[in-house]
Amino acid sequence: MQEFISDSPTSLITQLKRSFAIMKKDLRIYYNKGPVIIQGILFPVMLFFAFTIGRNIAPVYIISGLMAMVLFLTSTSIGPVVFPWETRQMTLERLITCPVSIKTILLGNLWSSLVFGCVFSTIPLILGMILFFEFQMNYFLIIMGIIIAALAFSSFSLILSVPPTDMPANTMILTILVKFPIIFISPLFMPVSFAPLAIVSPLTYFIDIINIGLGIESSFGYLGFFFDFIILMVFSLLSLFAAFFLHEKTITRRFS
Amino acid sequence: MTNAIEVDNLSKHFHTPKAKKLFLAKQKSFEQKATKRDVIRAVDNVSFHVVKGEIFGLLGPNGAGKTTTIRMLTGVLKPTAGKITILGRDFLKNRIVIQQIIGNVPEMANAYLDLSGFQNLELIGELYGVKKTERIKQAEYLLKKFGIFESRNLKAKKYSKGMRQRLLLCMALMSNPKVLFLDEPTSGLDVQSSIIIKNLIREYHKTGMTIVLTTHNMDVANELCDRIGIINKGKLVGLDTPENLLKLMQEYLALDVSFENNYINEKEMIILPYVKKISKIGKKYRIIVSSLNDGLCDIVEYAKSNNLKIDKINTYEPHLQDVFIQIINVGGV
Repeated sequence: MQEFISDSPTSLITQLKRSFAIMKKDLRIYYNKGPVIIQGILFPVMLFFAFTIGRNIAPVYIISGLMAMVLFLTSTSIGPVVFPWETRQMTLERLITCPVSIKTILLGNLWSSLVFGCVFSTIPLILGMILFFEFQMNYFLIIMGIIIAALAFSSFSLILSVPPTDMPANTMILTILVKFPIIFISPLFMPVSFAPLAIVSPLTYFIDIINIGLGIESSFGYLGFFFDFIILMVFSLLSLFAAFFLHEKTITRRFS
Repeated sequence: MTNAIEVDNLSKHFHTPKAKKLFLAKQKSFEQKATKRDVIRAVDNVSFHVVKGEIFGLLGPNGAGKTTTIRMLTGVLKPTAGKITILGRDFLKNRIVIQQIIGNVPEMANAYLDLSGFQNLELIGELYGVKKTERIKQAEYLLKKFGIFESRNLKAKKYSKGMRQRLLLCMALMSNPKVLFLDEPTSGLDVQSSIIIKNLIREYHKTGMTIVLTTHNMDVANELCDRIGIINKGKLVGLDTPENLLKLMQEYLALDVSFENNYINEKEMIILPYVKKISKIGKKYRIIVSSLNDGLCDIVEYAKSNNLKIDKINTYEPHLQDVFIQIINVGGV
């Protein structure tokens, strides 16, 4: 047994490794599921046209707005689907009897949302690079921004899957109710100062990072990007710990 | 003999929506306001132990509390009260460490239908920390052993029910567990799949693996289990080897006799030394006897002396089903 099994099951490294196994599983299974395609791919495309058609928008705001919307919608599309889907498919019970904690399962979901979001948000970035090649981009800042924001949005999406339902449609309604207001109060395709409620939206800080990366001054002063990163990190941690706490409370109700 | 599993006063209570409301509203005293009817005692104060290397069966009707018990033993549900010790460790305090050495085939669970059989095993191997080379070897070995190697690259949704059940067993065995929990392992399977699974359970039992299974199928329990716990309405109402449980029903040794003229004088027959009770079932008489041989002699003698012609005679020995029905009806041994 000692040689057969590689590590102590409770160690942090072991649980982290196992969360990556859950990530691989999620990415294999959920990338083509209806709710993920609707929320992760169709919504950003439709909203992009809804926001931009007939408006004269500066290219920089098109890139940052599109990236923010794509990243937010894609990285929050898998998380809320996994738990109700797996409860319904009766695979969650199998997973819960494996030597992994609830936190590990949630981390697995988090990684998959993060990867999904990061991959899809590079599409508008590449499009922007091709169409608006005159920008002097700070690639490091943009990539770091994408990763941190994907982490923040993915953590947030875990909270949306807390209600112990086995109907993915129920969580989809909840996610739409939460996600759309966040999108509407965010400074998408416009300067941050034009959106009065923008400060409460996590998207604002990602948009600000992208804007800085595309050569526009931060809306939050000289060390704005630093402020943006801090806000997104704090938002990630708060969401993640809230998700850990709430899922621990509700997980057994999925089986009773 | 050491125990692999010890279960002490295990209980699981669920609350009805009304009780939940009371609880959530933090009424003055939940216990005072929630009546008995608001609490569903799915498992109520159950205690038993499973010896290392034995096959222990939990037998009971639907809704008796078997699955809830297994779910607590495998970490799906937290008990309301009680203690579970598996291989000397408190399960509730060392859930992950113990889950590492147990395998599980839940009744209500499924393999990942969008993954192939092989990918399902790989995933489980990774979740149990099985090294990559061992993982591949073990997955191939199990798939071959369980006869689904040819379909290893097919998505599990294309598997038949029997194949899926075999895949679930493979998943449970990926980590070479010391204790295996099987919740209704042959339920809903065709005869062939059921036989394959029963044979494999026997084979793994021979390796020293401790196996706990639940079933409502008497034949499965009788064929496979070293000891059986009978559970009903959340309570353990009987616990022994199948042989000893059958001994409880010795009064149920009977002879089914039909006479040519279809009539006997019951009052005369009941005074025969080995005859205990007579009842008429259709055209035949079920005669409960204290010994099959002696009872048979008594009845043949009686028939001879009364010029009665015996048309048919069959011995009837108690089945586990009779024990089960008796225990369930009476409410305990």
